[in-house]
Amino acid sequence: MLKDFIRSSRAKSPWIIHFDCGSCNGCDIETLACLTPLYDVERFGIVNVGNPKHADVLLVTGTVNHRNKHVLKNLYDQMPSPKAVVAIGACGLTGGVFREAYNVLGGVDKVLPVDVYVPGCPPKPEAIIDGVVLALKKFAEKQQAAG
Amino acid sequence: MTSILLGILALILAPLAGGLIAGLDRRVTARVQSRFGPPILQPFYDVAKLFGKEPRMGNVWQIFCAYIYLLGAAVSVFLFFAGADLLLLFFVQAIGAVFLVFGALARPSPYSQIGAQRELMQILTYEPLLILVFVGLAKATGSFKVAAIWSHPEPLLLQLPLLYLVLTTALTIKLRKSPFDFSTSHHGHQEIVKGVLTEYSGPYLGLIELAHWYEVVLVLGICALFWSTSLVGLLVLLAVTYAAEIFVDNTMARLTWRWMLGSALLAGLALSFLNLVWLYLA
Amino acid sequence: MENTLLFVLIFLPFAAAGLCWLVPSGAVRRGVVLVTAALLAAASLGLFGRGAFAATPESLLGLPLNGLITLADFALLLVILGIGLKRKNRWITILTLLQLVPLAIFELTLPEHGPIAPALVIDGLSLIMILVISIVGSLICVFALPYMEAHEQHLHLRSSRQGRFFFFLVLFLGAMNGLVAANNILWAYFFWELTTLCSFALIGHDGGEEATANAVRALVMNLFGGVALVCGIIFLYGAAKTLSIQDVVQAGSLGTMAFVAFALIALAGFTKAAQLPFQSWLLGAMVAPTPVSALLHSSTMVKAGVYIVLRFAPAFAGSAFADCLAVAGGFTFCVATGLALGQSNGKRILAYSTIGNLGLIMACAGIGTPAALAAGMLFIVFHAVSKGLLFLCVGAIEQTIGSRDIEDMRGLYDRMPRTAVITVIGIVTMLLPPFGVLMAKWMAIEAAADNLPVVVLIAMGSALGVVVWGRWAGILMSSSRTKKAWPEAQPALLRWPLAVLAGGAVVLSFLLPAVYASLVAPMLKGPIAGSAGSLASGLAAYLIYPLFLVLAAGFLYAVIAARQARAAVDTVYLAGAQAGPPESPAFTGPMDQPVVVSAGNYYLPSIFGEERLTFPLNVIAVALIIIMAGGALI
Ligand code: SF4
Repeated sequence: MLKDFIRSSRAKSPWIIHFDCGSCNGCDIETLACLTPLYDVERFGIVNVGNPKHADVLLVTGTVNHRNKHVLKNLYDQMPSPKAVVAIGACGLTGGVFREAYNVLGGVDKVLPVDVYVPGCPPKPEAIIDGVVLALKKFAEKQQAAG
Repeated sequence: MTSILLGILALILAPLAGGLIAGLDRRVTARVQSRFGPPILQPFYDVAKLFGKEPRMGNVWQIFCAYIYLLGAAVSVFLFFAGADLLLLFFVQAIGAVFLVFGALARPSPYSQIGAQRELMQILTYEPLLILVFVGLAKATGSFKVAAIWSHPEPLLLQLPLLYLVLTTALTIKLRKSPFDFSTSHHGHQEIVKGVLTEYSGPYLGLIELAHWYEVVLVLGICALFWSTSLVGLLVLLAVTYAAEIFVDNTMARLTWRWMLGSALLAGLALSFLNLVWLYLA
Repeated sequence: MENTLLFVLIFLPFAAAGLCWLVPSGAVRRGVVLVTAALLAAASLGLFGRGAFAATPESLLGLPLNGLITLADFALLLVILGIGLKRKNRWITILTLLQLVPLAIFELTLPEHGPIAPALVIDGLSLIMILVISIVGSLICVFALPYMEAHEQHLHLRSSRQGRFFFFLVLFLGAMNGLVAANNILWAYFFWELTTLCSFALIGHDGGEEATANAVRALVMNLFGGVALVCGIIFLYGAAKTLSIQDVVQAGSLGTMAFVAFALIALAGFTKAAQLPFQSWLLGAMVAPTPVSALLHSSTMVKAGVYIVLRFAPAFAGSAFADCLAVAGGFTFCVATGLALGQSNGKRILAYSTIGNLGLIMACAGIGTPAALAAGMLFIVFHAVSKGLLFLCVGAIEQTIGSRDIEDMRGLYDRMPRTAVITVIGIVTMLLPPFGVLMAKWMAIEAAADNLPVVVLIAMGSALGVVVWGRWAGILMSSSRTKKAWPEAQPALLRWPLAVLAGGAVVLSFLLPAVYASLVAPMLKGPIAGSAGSLASGLAAYLIYPLFLVLAAGFLYAVIAARQARAAVDTVYLAGAQAGPPESPAFTGPMDQPVVVSAGNYYLPSIFGEERLTFPLNVIAVALIIIMAGGALI
């Protein structure tokens, strides 16, 4: 019973950490908008934490470049599993308009296993919330697959 | 015997009460910010999730400290409801508080190191204030024992109004609410990525949250001593106090520890002194 | 039997000290010190449980003892006078003459020259002191054996000066035992001056400018206390017409003259216990080898200061003078702990903390209720064990890492796991329940509840103490190690005193109710009543033992749970920008160069800085002493 409670609690308490990889700040503003009274993601138990050790879901905005790819990797490694990654915006997905720049590696999935891609330039807050909820569903599936 | 049973009952019920209070707190805070807020049971989901996460540790000592923090908090709640000596249970609580600092200092992370120093500054502020509150309670009732204070025939708030103010200051620090949430903070608030909690994660963070619930119940219990004569009075006092805490939390900016030492501690000492002088003269 | 034990406790150290001085062989010295330590400890334990008794040894080796002590007294003062003349130090000379002349006149005009019956009295307070001196003190002497070897190697001395060192070290124990056993106040005075001389010799042992200057300062301040004591004795005799301490304490109301005497004796106690404004001699005493500091701070010297005040406390309990004494003690407790907060030098922190804790005992003596006196006595015991332990720890650490700064002890666990853990145990027994020091502090606060200024000062000092100790213990264990740390190698004579004291601090706290019932309670007249009502039951076995056991069970569970935690080892959070191996965390800096992480404690120099505070605090302390003297005249 306790195990069930813990399992069901996971989906009800996704603490997110938001990492701005190399965004133009458009996506960041939309992401933070989710926390405002208008969208109020805390309804779903979502809390924006600042420390990967406390987080369950990693939200990444912006392109990955050679300088910050280590940081991104480090943050992901310091999150205790189970965890999920959501890539946000055209840049996070593929590198977006910066894709061809000399220092850009591309999207988040060049470095990390991404669970959910939220497209848009920038995506609407509703889409971002949707992405996080979808990530939780995937994460439940992963749990089940793992037994 | 009954007192021991009461203590054991409190040991079991306190985390439930603490979690519910935290849930209510988040809900009310959200309403104050014209948001909807999480379910009342959200804190329980959070802690359950933390216990389900992969355990990770810096070193054995750090984990040990988390357990001792929980131990100190739980035993002090037990002693309180068993009607023991206020100062003794406060010092038992201090075991937990000090080991939380040890736990934060256990890792060379600059964030948790700063958090630990700030936590010590908070202890430096609330400890003398609480001791003076207890002295006031003992002076007014003739005993340091919770049981005896509890059965005092008149509401103590009337005799110790200033000391109650001092107690609420200490309460704000203990609850980690603005303006005194700089060693670590709550929920959405982030303070140098959570100060003393920086290096804890998963189940060990869960342990600390659990211990925090015990502490919340303990401080609210101490508040309850100020109106122990009627249940209604007690509940009203607690509700008003907590509502005031939430109001302050939402309207105040975070202060620096220097400011806290310079004003909260000095003002608290002055207020306690005034109230005690009055008590000694009366 | 009792006389034999007393003989061993007081006279044997004199004989052993003489041997150490005369026989230059290291092996003999080692044997003598070990045997003396064992005998002292055994004899003190032998006295334990015999209850209070009095003894009047008439003669020693056929010589009349009373005359012998009088002679020795003058000889001692002449030796000190000689030191003053040789060093051309005006202060030493004047202060010694100020003792010599009144004492000579007093002795000459003293009507009854016969022995004061009884000359020695052992009661709970003396026994507590004897146990502390003979067990903790002896352990420190044992620790000193390997320590001094290493110390002299370090200094590259051509000829060993250890004979002189151990002469004074062992003599110190005998002098202390004599002081606390004496009932004839003139005997007490002799032993009192002897401890002054021993401390002077030991502080200046290493020679050099600083050591000599500090030793002279210690001598001058303690001679000042000696003058106060001589005057106190003369006034006391004038008021009570007796030299027996017990008679004075039991005499009841004695009038103003006696209170002047008490004020002078308290002043003497203040100098010896290094209370503000006399703290500088104890701070200066740190230049001596560590065993000396350990001895001065924990079991001898400073404890003599609080002993003499506690001894007379029942005679002035409840007076205006006593209230002033309590405030002065509380003041010292609060501000000395505050000064400790501003320090990063480990020995200085310990020194200020000693001064503060002695202030707390002075405050207990001033409050004077049975509960307060009980708290004071328990404090002496538990403080001696924990403080002795901590000094030895700092000594052992300093010999290994070459620094006594606590910032340099950051992460000591990685290098010296065994010493680090023992230091943490020492700190925790100073700071947290259910250990004795805290329990005594708890009693003191409850006893002080009726005295508003004192309780405010103690509450503040107690909180400052949490910061001082908490951060020190915390950083010792700060570790970034990923593999298991191996216990460091240490000579057995260095390791065992540490282990015994650490174990003793824990076990003794567990035995607190027994210590209380067998040593403290019989000293106190009447039941512990009044605001301390909760105390009698609070200290009862049925409360202490379960609390201890519950905490111990939780502690064990935590140890096991933490050890068995199947947790992946985590790296430190550095905003994701970490570089380098996990053992030495660093940020990735400009040009991809690592920027090593560093952290430091808050010492708040702008609030607690020694340079800023010492002068104004000394002024306040002097004012408090003057008020105290005024209180005696009321
Ligand atoms: S996706 Fe668009 S809004 Fe988002 S970071 Fe890239 S350019 Fe900016």
